[in-house]
Amino acid sequence: MEYIYDPYVLLGVKPGADNQEINAAFARLQQALAPSEAKGKPGAIAQLEQIKAAYALLSDSRKRSAFDRQRASDEPGTGFQMRVTPSKKVIEKLEEPQVIYLLAEIIPHSKASPDSAAPVRRDAGLNLTLILDHSNSMNGVRLDRVKVAATEIIEQLSENDILSVVGFNDHAEVVIPATSVENKRALATRTRIMRASGGTEMYKGLYAGVLENRKNLRPDRVNHIILLTDGNTYGDQEKCLTLARKLSKEGISVSTLGLGSEWNDEFLDEIASITGGSSGFIKSANAVVSFLNNQVKNLSNVYAEQMQLTVAPTPDVDVEMTFKLAPSPQPLPEKDQVIHLGGMQFERKMSVLLQLQIPADVEVGTLDLGRVVVSGRVISEKRVYTATSQLSVQVSEQPSVEPPPNKILDALGKLTLYRMQERANDSIERGNVKEATQRLQNLATRLLEVGQEGLAKEAFDEVKRLKTTHALSEEGRKTLKYQTRVLIGEVDGGKDG
Amino acid sequence: MIVCSNCTYRNREGYFYCEDCGFPLADSMRDRTATRQLDSEENVLSARATWGTARLTDASQILLQVTDAKSPIQLSVVARSVVGREDVSSDHHPDIDLVPYGGLEKGVSRNHAMIQRSEDTLTIVDMGSSNGTFLNGQRLVSNQPRVLRDGDEIRFGKLVTRIFFK
Repeated sequence: MEYIYDPYVLLGVKPGADNQEINAAFARLQQALAPSEAKGKPGAIAQLEQIKAAYALLSDSRKRSAFDRQRASDEPGTGFQMRVTPSKKVIEKLEEPQVIYLLAEIIPHSKASPDSAAPVRRDAGLNLTLILDHSNSMNGVRLDRVKVAATEIIEQLSENDILSVVGFNDHAEVVIPATSVENKRALATRTRIMRASGGTEMYKGLYAGVLENRKNLRPDRVNHIILLTDGNTYGDQEKCLTLARKLSKEGISVSTLGLGSEWNDEFLDEIASITGGSSGFIKSANAVVSFLNNQVKNLSNVYAEQMQLTVAPTPDVDVEMTFKLAPSPQPLPEKDQVIHLGGMQFERKMSVLLQLQIPADVEVGTLDLGRVVVSGRVISEKRVYTATSQLSVQVSEQPSVEPPPNKILDALGKLTLYRMQERANDSIERGNVKEATQRLQNLATRLLEVGQEGLAKEAFDEVKRLKTTHALSEEGRKTLKYQTRVLIGEVDGGKDG
Repeated sequence: MIVCSNCTYRNREGYFYCEDCGFPLADSMRDRTATRQLDSEENVLSARATWGTARLTDASQILLQVTDAKSPIQLSVVARSVVGREDVSSDHHPDIDLVPYGGLEKGVSRNHAMIQRSEDTLTIVDMGSSNGTFLNGQRLVSNQPRVLRDGDEIRFGKLVTRIFFK
């Protein structure tokens, strides 16, 4: 699928700009990005490529007029807006490095101007592939619930949607080849043939599912894979990740769901984060049906697909963390050149929190922090929209005390809980049980303070376990990780303005 | 630099929650906060547990005021001072002896707590005392240092004191 960033927005020129203006804009941006690219900043490398492609398109008169003609025949666009809020507008000049947070909010245009003319069409078809583990450990209630879930998903879909189902254990089998969802009963019957046996070889399942999904890969659909497993895969993780990177470029996102406690969360998180999907933990088989149904419901409400983010900080500024807050909180791979954010839903903003480090001894005045580019394909228009933002803050010797924006403070409060469980795990991995105990105890105390009594109890239970066994229970560890992650999404649910 | 009042971790400026322990960083903990000046002794003794500054300068004097005592104890905390109870029979002499203030009756241990001075902060750590050390009413976990702020109430067993930076 062709994915062309809007060249005019990227270069910051008007659609009618002449060659001289375009040359000047390109030269200026190239000059601004080159030092960061030289320092190996992944976002700057990506943004330079973007502006080079934009420049190549606009400076070729034949390609440019073809692009303009295509654009003119499109319906009047809607698109989205980006708004970036810093934790402080004015920072103090310090002899030491300091940290600043930036909240990037991407707002679907339908929401940004509520009184805009016609309502947006919601006819995004799904191209959905379910990849379901039916290894031996899925035997009994787990596989039964998965089959019920598959049946309900089929019920939810319409004839506009394409569904494929792949089952895997030691090998993969296509249970339902990619097909439009017409004869629901026949499709549901086919899912019942899956029997639990064998081990878990995920690459085989993932690859078979990808082949099915690619058959109907189209820009006016939501192309998505949901992979559900209850076990570890051995030896083929790198192959899975390589495939996931390919998928992210093709426009297929992958959500991963771990059932029970015997699966590799870091691995499933990574597959989801690379492709713009989400990763989740289903503690008990009973929750499978509602969990999967919700996932599919969210997919069918997608306004724009293949949302992509690049952050090019100035050479001395470092991006230390990137985290998607809404929808579906997910850690993002800040070391990737292009960060995939997945789908943006109708009337719900997407928000991403960035943590940057500013070096010591910056000059008083305006400090340039870098440039952010967001793009995404609005499904109803089959068109890629692009938004850019130049980031800066003021530096002063003695800034007046300003309270940070509440939405940043709220998000950080929740994100900190998630970070605390991560740090406790880091301590355990380093073999420092004492530190881990202290960190987990701090987490439990904080959870109590913010009124999360159930989770606090889980944390206290794990503290006790840590003291006797020097390890956490897998279930407890995953509960703390995914439940604190869910809390992040509850900050504002993306619903308020 | 923002020193966390819970764990003493030194966070970079710009953090809102401690990077190490996750606790909210109070605005008053920030370095630029001016030292709170108290007008009179009366004011001092009626001060509730408020957020005083945690920052010390080289010139700061540290005073430990035992409730009802006529004059405060001036602490010459260079690096670390043990607060406790002198016991001649076991030849035990803490840096700060609370016997003259009723330490024996009020349950002060021989090695009760230690006050430590780092570059620009003061911390207290309970040394496993029998009757506990309480900071602003909260019992301290033994061997875990906590940052002291100007005006904090410290209770050694039942002996109530208040610490001031001047």
